[in-house]
Amino acid sequence: MKLSMRTYKRFPFWIIPLAIGLVVMALPFMGANRGTLRLVISIALLALLVVGLNIAFGYAGELALGQSAIYAAGAYFAGYFAIKGLDLPLTLVIAVIAAAAVGLLTGGPGLRLGSWSLGMVTFFLVLLLPDIVTLFGDYTGGTAGLSGIPLPSLFGQKLNNTTFYVFVIAITILFFALLRNYVVSRHGTALKVMRESPVLARSLGYSIPRLKLTAYVISALPAGAAGSLFAYQDGYVSDVSFGFSMAVAILAASIIGGSASIYGAAFGAAILVIGPLRASALQDWSLPFFGLLLIVGGLFFAGGVAGLLTRLIHSRFLKDDLMPDVLAALESPPPLPAIDGKTLKGVGIVKRFGGNVALAGVDLEARPGRVTALIGPNGSGKTTLLNVISGFLKPEEGTVMLGDRDITGLKAHQASRSGISRTFQTPQIPQGLTVAEVVESARFRTEPTSVISGMLTLPGTRRAMRRDREAAIQLLSVMGIVEYADRQADELPLGTRRVLEVARALASEPALLLLDEPASGLDEQEVEALAVVIRRLRDAGATIVIVEHNFELVMRISDRIDVLHLGGMIAGGTPAEVRNDPAVIESYLGKAARERAEAAEEKK
Amino acid sequence: MITTIWAGLSVGAIYAIVAVGYNIVYIASRVFNFAQAQFVMIGAFVALQAGSVLNLPLWVTILLCALVGAVIGALEEFLAIRWLRGRGAHNELVTTLGVATLLSGLALVLFGSEPNRISYFSDQAPLDLLGGRVLFVEVLTILGAIVIAVAVGVITKRTMIGLASLATSEDREAGALRGINAGWLAIGAFVLAGALLAALGPLVGAKTFAVFNLGDLLAVKAFVALAIGGFGSYKGAAIGGFVVGLVEVFSARFLGSEWQNITVFVLLLLVLLIIPNGVFGRATGRTV
Repeated sequence: MKLSMRTYKRFPFWIIPLAIGLVVMALPFMGANRGTLRLVISIALLALLVVGLNIAFGYAGELALGQSAIYAAGAYFAGYFAIKGLDLPLTLVIAVIAAAAVGLLTGGPGLRLGSWSLGMVTFFLVLLLPDIVTLFGDYTGGTAGLSGIPLPSLFGQKLNNTTFYVFVIAITILFFALLRNYVVSRHGTALKVMRESPVLARSLGYSIPRLKLTAYVISALPAGAAGSLFAYQDGYVSDVSFGFSMAVAILAASIIGGSASIYGAAFGAAILVIGPLRASALQDWSLPFFGLLLIVGGLFFAGGVAGLLTRLIHSRFLKDDLMPDVLAALESPPPLPAIDGKTLKGVGIVKRFGGNVALAGVDLEARPGRVTALIGPNGSGKTTLLNVISGFLKPEEGTVMLGDRDITGLKAHQASRSGISRTFQTPQIPQGLTVAEVVESARFRTEPTSVISGMLTLPGTRRAMRRDREAAIQLLSVMGIVEYADRQADELPLGTRRVLEVARALASEPALLLLDEPASGLDEQEVEALAVVIRRLRDAGATIVIVEHNFELVMRISDRIDVLHLGGMIAGGTPAEVRNDPAVIESYLGKAARERAEAAEEKK
Repeated sequence: MITTIWAGLSVGAIYAIVAVGYNIVYIASRVFNFAQAQFVMIGAFVALQAGSVLNLPLWVTILLCALVGAVIGALEEFLAIRWLRGRGAHNELVTTLGVATLLSGLALVLFGSEPNRISYFSDQAPLDLLGGRVLFVEVLTILGAIVIAVAVGVITKRTMIGLASLATSEDREAGALRGINAGWLAIGAFVLAGALLAALGPLVGAKTFAVFNLGDLLAVKAFVALAIGGFGSYKGAAIGGFVVGLVEVFSARFLGSEWQNITVFVLLLLVLLIIPNGVFGRATGRTV
């Protein structure tokens, strides 16, 4: 039996893990003994650490090794205040706040450099733990440890083994639910886009430092909560519980379960707690064992258990049919909405790379409802000019105006938010997203919703996600690729990926559309389809700037052509004017071509 | 005071050499090798065995260390890195962390958790130098760090193989089109860095003893040195290493030994916040 796409998308599958969670929560009432309950609590605590790591590592792509140090912070803070007589809910909140503080403190600097810098900063944090514990010995009990943590009490009621167990599982379910909502919300899609292509993320208006820091701080919260529960569970906190091997075990569990998943964290934690962490024969060999696990897991086990399951479900249990809204769009294609293009005006733009002058005072004007083409030989500065306009490069001199707004020197994500959309020479289609999601990802900043709204799936998020989908279906339909809406985007052929990029570029309702060699690698039919699309967009009012090597295409679709050569504009005008400009013929087609053209003129 | 400076420079020299090792691998293959500092630990244990069991002379031991480091470096590249090419950016962090864990874990299983005294350089009287006291082996380490940083820097900028690795670092495909074999270059870098750091083992081990987690703090502090100096810069690695060593030793002396790692950590956070590209690092150019 196979599920239809509609059932797969609409059925509330989250009921299944929730039901499993509730059954686990009810174990003490089904006759489970104390040993089993202790084991399940260990799994739950590790699962909280791992699910946090999965947000930072699996979704945001930042390796955070400090979960065990944040776990420790939660445990020490909760333990200290529990001894002072505070109730369990309060100490839990304090532990979570402490975790967030540690996250901010290490994440702010740690995320500044390349992908390994957070890893090293957080690894350092784990190694520092004994020093910090010694330094604050009055609060942490120093090397002797923090003892005398009372039994937990909830609103004045002492908890016994059973009720504490229920509380731990409830907190675990709560965090899993919040984080699950977070990753299926638009924020999860945004994280995937950023992980796969930071350049694309910036061009869509995402602020990368902010997205990463948010994800990393969120990843710390469950670790803090787990720390406070751990303090009560053991009644004693010492820094030996949180060392390097703990950090490695957390990462190993994440990889086994599948880093880019939520429920995989519970799998991985269960496997590790029931297996290697309990086997006493493995105690001495635990470090080499985890080391091997990381090597093998990192090499061969990219998706983990969760990845295997997802692939199995997709291939075995899912029908390859179309969603109702896709069918509707196929039957009666929605019209292309009017596009509110603005005038782009660049004056005297200069860009140097070291001593190399890439742009030597270039002027450019592109108006709404017109296609402006930039041509010129390789190295003439076309892409540099696009990068200056879209904020990926900062010009040394000159101004860029969009409408009546000065956008000179804005960063890429700011330029995007001020209305600039672009495509790329090599299509940037992130892995792990459907075609519709690729288009939707461009609306993340156009219609922003908060993280908290995403975690709680508040009406605001639901409305925004519905409109995301509508916009995606509409644009895909306009582009003629709506039947692929729920396919994996990275499986599309090149031509379709290029058209998909245009659809995505339109989703943020741009004032200016920059197309960077959209026809390269396309066959004749695909080029023809692209030309039709570009004309339709122009007629709808878009301001289009296109960089393209396909001379024939440029001649057919452009209203104006500007010719760059060695960083300067050497000609500009209608296609007919440019085609017959001798300077253009020489620089673009070569001297031989000019001579041949002149010879042809003479013959006439 | 001068004695403290000598101590700081000699500790910093070790960080500098490990940072050079990071750079060699990073420039040739764009991989940050988490396990790099573990090669010093390997060298220290080889020196321990060579000194106390085999009674080898020092120069033979250093060669032996380099050989072992080279072989393990090659194995690491071959088993844990090579297969990852072109499959996403982050997995080599996981696999090199795995190698680091595996190596220090094996050292723990084989030699226990107690630090072991190495027989080389064990009975030395301190020298009086520029008004401070310093061991001969420490002067040797400081000079070694400077010579290595300068030499590797010159090799990188002046020889074909160095330029080839710079080119590959910039653009792997363009390098391949010019006939550079990026695979051999990467193996070569791992071998060179592994041999260099393992050869350092006897000198470092003489100071810190041979212990299984020797590489852990070394790894992060050499990273701080790189962050200060800027990724890919050999001059920066050396200077950064000495700065870290001095900060560490001075904070231990004036604030207390439990502060020495914390001040280096704070230094790292400040450097990343204020000069994320480091003093001698280059901002990256074209991104699209």
